Amino acid sequence: MDLPQIIANSLVRAAELSLLAIGLTMVYDILKFANFAHADYAILGGFLVYTFNQAFGLNLFLSIILAALATGVISIAIDKAIFKPLRKREAKPVTLMITSLGIAIALRNTLRLIWTSKPKTYAIPLQKPFEILGARITPTQIGIVATGLVFMITLHLLLHRTTLGKALRAISDNRVLASACAIDSERMIQWMWFIAATFGVIGGTMIAMEHLLYPRLGFDILIPIFCVAILGGIGNPYGAMLGALILALAENVILALDFGYILSLGGLFKVGSIQINTGYKAAISFVILIIVLLFRPTGILGRK
Amino acid sequence: MPVVNFLIYLLIMIGIYALLALSLNFQVGFTGLINFGQVAFFAVGAYTSCLLVCKAGIPIVLGFLCGMILSGLFGYLISIPTRSLKADYWAIVTLAGGEIVRLIAVNEGWLTEGSFGVMRIPQPLKHLLSKGTYPLFYLVLVAACVVFMYFVLRLLINSPFGRNLKAIRDAEELCLSLGKNTRKLKMEAMIVAGAVAGLAGALFAHYITYISPENFQPIETFLMWAMIIVGGRGNHAGAILGAVVIQVFNVSTRFIVRYVPLGPDVVAPLRMVIIGLLIVAFLLFKPEGLVKEKKKIYELKDNQAGEL
Repeated sequence: MDLPQIIANSLVRAAELSLLAIGLTMVYDILKFANFAHADYAILGGFLVYTFNQAFGLNLFLSIILAALATGVISIAIDKAIFKPLRKREAKPVTLMITSLGIAIALRNTLRLIWTSKPKTYAIPLQKPFEILGARITPTQIGIVATGLVFMITLHLLLHRTTLGKALRAISDNRVLASACAIDSERMIQWMWFIAATFGVIGGTMIAMEHLLYPRLGFDILIPIFCVAILGGIGNPYGAMLGALILALAENVILALDFGYILSLGGLFKVGSIQINTGYKAAISFVILIIVLLFRPTGILGRK
Repeated sequence: MPVVNFLIYLLIMIGIYALLALSLNFQVGFTGLINFGQVAFFAVGAYTSCLLVCKAGIPIVLGFLCGMILSGLFGYLISIPTRSLKADYWAIVTLAGGEIVRLIAVNEGWLTEGSFGVMRIPQPLKHLLSKGTYPLFYLVLVAACVVFMYFVLRLLINSPFGRNLKAIRDAEELCLSLGKNTRKLKMEAMIVAGAVAGLAGALFAHYITYISPENFQPIETFLMWAMIIVGGRGNHAGAILGAVVIQVFNVSTRFIVRYVPLGPDVVAPLRMVIIGLLIVAFLLFKPEGLVKEKKKIYELKDNQAGEL
């Protein structure tokens, strides 16, 4: 694979991953626990999109908007039923994390129950890829990158230009001080879940559009999302974007590299072609995650 | 007869998972290490033992031992990047570690037979016993292992080493301030837990006689988690009780398919929905589990109190 193609593919992957990682990083930042159900919320949204799109025959854009809103509401309901009582009891973050694992298992298998494990695709007609600067890219992929950019800018404006964003940043910095300033932190936490879930649904649906939609997808993308969030520094949405770009590039470059050529020092020695087995694509993010945690657990940009 | 065979199978699976739950409880309940990749120990133990026996032809007893040793080593390995991390990072890294082990089992076909799996794994002392009594013998073997490990772990927990582990769980900073090397202690805890779970893996492989990466899906880890949450963390009886409850539910719902008008593609996910909800419900309404940890309170004796 040549360089322009690698960059194009990485941009698409980065747009998907960063939207997913933002929700994870926000919850982690404000509620101080790693939400293992985050990716499953996103895939629940992906399946709702599928139902609105295929069963009700709605247009894909409208389906995504409806599914994102519905999942946002569901995530608030789950918070009210499960996480809020635990917060009231001042349960430790570890307990919240294990609870989120329980929710993840229940949710993932509910998806299997309703939609079965058979992989699904959205009704997207076959597209002829464009050629831009030597990279082949489909209109859907351009749409994914554009959506990613639009939502990043939206998030920035939301966090810095609106009262809601300022209140969210305030409770992330110091919850007690924020409530002293008459910020209703419980209501802000609901908004946070809503934003996290809606962004996640858009990211998750974009990943499912590129590949396939199946209930286990949530688990399969969980480690890459954690990798992106930690790489960029937990609680730092801009870090999540940078982390997504780095992980996407790493995945595509490592799979395209011919390690035999590097070992032969550019043809000096005779070494056969050595490439990483594509079966290990998933392992790349795991290994990067472990390396980051070993050498720079605060991430590249650090905690904010 | 089928009922008896089913009961023996159920009891053997309870025993194997009791070992896994004891090992997970040793990490989570006593040391406070959140391991979301517990299935990796199980896989390392199972693959090491059966591959050494099948491919290198070593005696089965040695295979069991090597499975335990390698699984313990894996515990050491996984605690290197995680030893100084907080609980949540530890959870993420162990989850990733579990997946890496499974991916290696799938992709390195020259060693592990890939997704076809290792077949015809020999069983210990098979030629000495008749076909009818063999499952009973295996049940006794598994039960002996559980009892042995129960006492070993109890001994460890009641030793100074065990008290240090509990101190890490309850107040790591305090433990550090007393000059304890908490990193080393956590590593040692992972090695012990790895060896116990590795034994469960070896017992599983030589009982089922056929293993493939499908046996080591992350869902197995979640089952073990359900066991220690339902049973109660921080005590061995709770882990074993949890293994009984969850395994009776898990195994019997596999057979219920024949008698209820629901297809297997409904029963399997439904079972896991219930397991997930069970974890959530227990954490919400009965966080200490069925068997509560008896916390020892060291009271000052009168004469000591006088000195203070």
